[in-house]
Amino acid sequence: MTELLQALILGLLIGGVYALMASGLSLIFGVMNIINVAQGAFLILVAMFTWWLWKSTGVDPILASVVTTPLMFGFGWVLYRTVISRIRGSSTSMSVLLTFGLALTIEGALNVTAGNKFRSATPSYFEESYHLGSISLPKPQVYGFVAAVLVLSALYVVLAHTWAGRAIRASAQNPSGAALVGVGATSTAALAFALGTSTAGVGGSVLSVLYPFFPASHYDWISRLLGIIVLGGMGSLPGALAGALVLGLAETLTATYWSLRWSTLVFYLVILVVLLFRPQGIFGTRLREDVVA
Amino acid sequence: MMLLRRVPRGHAAAGLVFVLLAIYPVFYPYATYYQTVLLQAFLLSLQAVSWNIVSGYAGYVSLGHSAYLGLGSYTTAILALHWGVNPLLVAPLGGVTAVVIALALGVIVLRTRGHAFVIITIALLLAMQIVATNWRSLTKGSDGITLELPTWSRDIQNVPFYYAFLLLLALTVLFSAWIRRTKFGAGLVAIREDEGKASAIGVNTTRYKVLAYVASTFFIGVAGGVYAYFLTFLNPVGAFSILASVMIVLAALAGGRGTLYGPAVGGFIVSIGGEVATVHGGSSSRVLIFGVALTLVVLFMPSGLLPTVEGWWRRRHAETTEYTDQAGALAAGAVTAPGRAAAPALAQALLEPTGVESAEPVLLDVRKVSKRFGGLVAVDGADLTVRRGSITALIGPNGSGKTTLFNLVTGAMRADSGEVWLDGRRIDTMAPWQRGHLGLARTFQTTRLFKSMTVQQNLVAPLPDSGWRRMLASAVSGSEADRARELLDFVGLGRFAHRPAGSLSYGQQKLVELAQVLMLEPRIVLLDEPAGGVNPSLVGRLGDIVRDLNRQGVTFLVVEHNIPMVLELCDPVVVFSRGSSIAEGPPDRIREDPLVLDAYLGDEWRPPGAEVAAGPDAVTGTSVEVTPGRSAAGPPAERGSS
Amino acid sequence: MALSSPSRSARGQSRRPDRRVGAFAARAVTTMAVAGLLLAGCAQDKPSSSGSGKGPITIGISLPLTGDFSQPGGEAKRGYEVWRDTVNSSGGLLGHQVKLKIVDDASSQDTVVSDYTKLITQDKVDLLLGTFSSLLNYPASAVAEKNGMAFVEPAGGAPDMFTRGFKYLFFAQPATAPHQADVFVDWVRSLPASQRPKTAAYPTQDDPFARPVIESMQQQLEALGVKTVYTSVYPADTTNFQTIASALKNKKPDIVAQGAVFEDGVGLVRSMKQLGFSPKVLFQTSAPSNAGQYSSGIGAANTEGVFYTVSWDQQAKTPQNPQFVAKYKSLFNGDDPAEDAADAFAAAQVLQTAAEKVGSFDQNKIRDYLHANAVTTILGPLKWDDKGQPQGQFILAQWQSGKVQVVAPASAATSQKVVYPKPGWH
Repeated sequence: MTELLQALILGLLIGGVYALMASGLSLIFGVMNIINVAQGAFLILVAMFTWWLWKSTGVDPILASVVTTPLMFGFGWVLYRTVISRIRGSSTSMSVLLTFGLALTIEGALNVTAGNKFRSATPSYFEESYHLGSISLPKPQVYGFVAAVLVLSALYVVLAHTWAGRAIRASAQNPSGAALVGVGATSTAALAFALGTSTAGVGGSVLSVLYPFFPASHYDWISRLLGIIVLGGMGSLPGALAGALVLGLAETLTATYWSLRWSTLVFYLVILVVLLFRPQGIFGTRLREDVVA
Repeated sequence: MMLLRRVPRGHAAAGLVFVLLAIYPVFYPYATYYQTVLLQAFLLSLQAVSWNIVSGYAGYVSLGHSAYLGLGSYTTAILALHWGVNPLLVAPLGGVTAVVIALALGVIVLRTRGHAFVIITIALLLAMQIVATNWRSLTKGSDGITLELPTWSRDIQNVPFYYAFLLLLALTVLFSAWIRRTKFGAGLVAIREDEGKASAIGVNTTRYKVLAYVASTFFIGVAGGVYAYFLTFLNPVGAFSILASVMIVLAALAGGRGTLYGPAVGGFIVSIGGEVATVHGGSSSRVLIFGVALTLVVLFMPSGLLPTVEGWWRRRHAETTEYTDQAGALAAGAVTAPGRAAAPALAQALLEPTGVESAEPVLLDVRKVSKRFGGLVAVDGADLTVRRGSITALIGPNGSGKTTLFNLVTGAMRADSGEVWLDGRRIDTMAPWQRGHLGLARTFQTTRLFKSMTVQQNLVAPLPDSGWRRMLASAVSGSEADRARELLDFVGLGRFAHRPAGSLSYGQQKLVELAQVLMLEPRIVLLDEPAGGVNPSLVGRLGDIVRDLNRQGVTFLVVEHNIPMVLELCDPVVVFSRGSSIAEGPPDRIREDPLVLDAYLGDEWRPPGAEVAAGPDAVTGTSVEVTPGRSAAGPPAERGSS
Repeated sequence: MALSSPSRSARGQSRRPDRRVGAFAARAVTTMAVAGLLLAGCAQDKPSSSGSGKGPITIGISLPLTGDFSQPGGEAKRGYEVWRDTVNSSGGLLGHQVKLKIVDDASSQDTVVSDYTKLITQDKVDLLLGTFSSLLNYPASAVAEKNGMAFVEPAGGAPDMFTRGFKYLFFAQPATAPHQADVFVDWVRSLPASQRPKTAAYPTQDDPFARPVIESMQQQLEALGVKTVYTSVYPADTTNFQTIASALKNKKPDIVAQGAVFEDGVGLVRSMKQLGFSPKVLFQTSAPSNAGQYSSGIGAANTEGVFYTVSWDQQAKTPQNPQFVAKYKSLFNGDDPAEDAADAFAAAQVLQTAAEKVGSFDQNKIRDYLHANAVTTILGPLKWDDKGQPQGQFILAQWQSGKVQVVAPASAATSQKVVYPKPGWH
């Protein structure tokens, strides 16, 4: 019983962090139909930066997200304006190839500058836990989860209650309509892309404490995150949340009751089974172009 | 004829390369290193050419294609060890495994449009790695599998591998070329260009996509088996490597995605380029170089090297063009007239003998069909019957649900309730292409030709039945191509056969789209605003063609805002308002019907785009888009007439 | 050719674009092919350098200087370079100055094959040395075997390496993976029965070097009566060790023996600390040998009492070892040499000794010599069976007071004290 409870709680904590990381990906897809394969590389980039900041100044890595988030927002904005916007109007597959190229570029650049070795930030509390009866809650996981919940809530508030957020949602649902009411497509897209990458700011900082990483780790992360949004329904934020929790639970439960070796595979199998019965994912509506012919 | 002349030319160049590569080891049998470099280039090329079948022709990008190389390697290695035979003998079974896995995966992931596919392909590679690592009893896990060294003499070393890969590359290229020439190949490109449209012209998009995916894996699987023997060792990390997939994508993209030889050329460039970089020491940042190269290619040379160089060559060696004057060409077409001479023969070729001249039996029957979008009821329990041999008009104000009704009838959307019957068969649960095979065809309000394909290719893409034979028939010669030419002549555009469809005028495109759906041998054609946005001189011509076809037995259902045309051409006329029909009758009666006037001029009549002009809140509330593109792109003709 | 370019948006209006494209393609292709043949022809004519005369000789090596194995690959390169400088400063090998031709295979199996093929058949190097890790040495050794070149590898102790019946392959470490924990088992055996650990848990990464160590240790400890309470093989990309740690906490084994490559070793210690479980004995395969990174990864205080086995230790009093360490430090800004560098140095020593003993660079003689004789290296004496498997023993090291001490075998020990049981976490 304790074992189950422990697994469930750990799954929930990890799922929260996954949700944070997947939300940006989902947002970018929802607004622009761009599958940002570079999101994983962004996470690693931020994790590396956070590690360096922590190593050289001693700043708490999770708190460092206060710096990395606006930085990533700016990075996303500039990247969109200078690179991504060039393929506006091309097919989604071009965006996949482009962001794939960016991901490799970031990996390669990290390889050259930071070297190909595992790192992880280890602040003083990284090996401490809170205890609830016989259940232990590792502090870094708890802090990461809290950061994730804060950012997801902030994202929700931005999207639901600001003009910019409504503009983004309008663009996601009806681009031509949004254009009619004066929502500039390019600046909205840049805004959405920047928001999406800024979640990698928090995500990457949290990652630097929770998981050892090295430049090529991004493949691992991007396939998990993409799996999450396929499972949840592409472009759906609640879907990303649900998919992330499923992944977190699938991982911890498989690891507890079967073998850690199969946990990732179990997750992919869950995806295939879901797609078999619900091709659009758990929360997905059928894609726009599927409906309107 | 041009097509026929063109193919041998292209193949001649490729054949020359093949011969040179084939005789190379005869003259330099001991150049082991160069042979090794070349055979690795062959391997990458054949993977890129294979990848191109699904990701180039059909446009579904696979980022994990090297997984099939690994699958082939493992299959071959395991079977060779188990049966104690030479791995080369069982290498084809590697291809079989690849095909089986691709089929299973494709059936799950490729049923819908959209992007699950690309994502699953990334996951595939990692999943395969996990399976190969953990299914220890079969794969020996992370220890990997070791094979015996080749049995042949040390002196010739890699020569057998060299020829094996060269042969596989040649076969892959021939296979890809063959696909490209079939209707299947034309259909794949159609899917890439506009999948919804492809399904509307009888293309079973699911079957096409799955088949393309499967076809793109076989030779890679076989090559994997040979490769395992070449390396004599395989393990999960090496066999399912992401970088190998990256190289495939980069090669195909650099050479020219969607072209026949581009991916092969790209394979040589990337593979040999990588080797040169290694030898000359510049490889400390290999991933960075690949990443930057991929990014730059996508941004600045998205069509790839071969098409870019071809374009440059052609610009430098430009010939005087024969058609520079569109108006002249149009006139030339108009003089040929709506193919009156061709019509009788055509009628026989095209149409099943209906034999019924009068509009007696009901051909299309729409019963109590409804469709809701969120809170808005677009089609509300609509009934509609179209009698065989008639030209039935469907008119009504914008937003009254006409196009949505078309979408429900053709299967682009599923109705929430109600039934659709075609000639005594219930069709509302069928896929769009199945309805197409029953003789139901449509054109679109804004034409949806495959703009980068030639007019000829546009015409051969449609598939009138679900037979494999027709699907795999040649698209460049033989009966299908002949039919396409006849139909083009019929609409008077035969001379534009080899022009890209996108370069034609809007009206010409409408005619091509009509000819395109005629390839389906339709019994009923749904025309969505055929005269909208069309040069008035072409409108009359269009009417002639419709009448002509109708005389041959084709039934029409026409949505049109050009009221004079409707009244002249159609009988009966059905009036639609607020999602259901409110009046039906001969044109004369409809003209005077007060209900109709009310429907057009009453309070529910709103100008185009009214529903989106209310402010951001109205937009974000629910997703409402009954008639796509209407608010942004209403042709002026329709506004004037209503 | 033009037929196959549907994605081109605007084809020119020329009536026969196809012919010109075909002509272009034919011309381009012919040019390329002719150039290729010429290139190959030139290459064919390149004179081969041979070992005769007293000119320099070349030793060909491909190493993973980039990619997944770049870290050990870089260390191996340093080890080889230290050896080259050592040899050249003492008159060279059989009177020849030694040149190393080191190429990068980017951790790729494809590249390592073409690298060694090129080194052997194109550059015609006189001798070969191995690359790093079994994954690359598998295909690389096959190339060497096909070409009849002696292949001494500094790493690659996976058992399957030696089941292929290769004649030219030699592994220049004291033991293959299944025997690397023998020295630890010997230590457990040496404890009085009352003090011996009773239970053990064996989590291991699914790694070709780590897993056989742990599996073989489990068998040997079970034979000694140590009860196995937990086993787990986790994948290389595992990043979360909470579940393993909580399972360990439930089972409370006396020994935790982990097949840890690096980051997983750090991860499990962290997780055990988070959950407040500390075993009496903690053994990890290679993670703790990454001295600086390991202690900063888990915190210096937490290293106390951690065991590992290793092929080489900096303090070892083997012949030439102090010179190796000193030379390494002087060449590389005072860095401490890593085990991988020492292994590479030792592999080169093996080749050097064999060449000197047979008096030539004759590959078959070198092969026969190594099959028949022991060779002294900085790792201690090495000898091989007919499959190229080494017949020696690793050393057992333990972290004590923030430093690594050799505790067994007695001949190599730098500390007579063994920390047992391990103190709790700090």
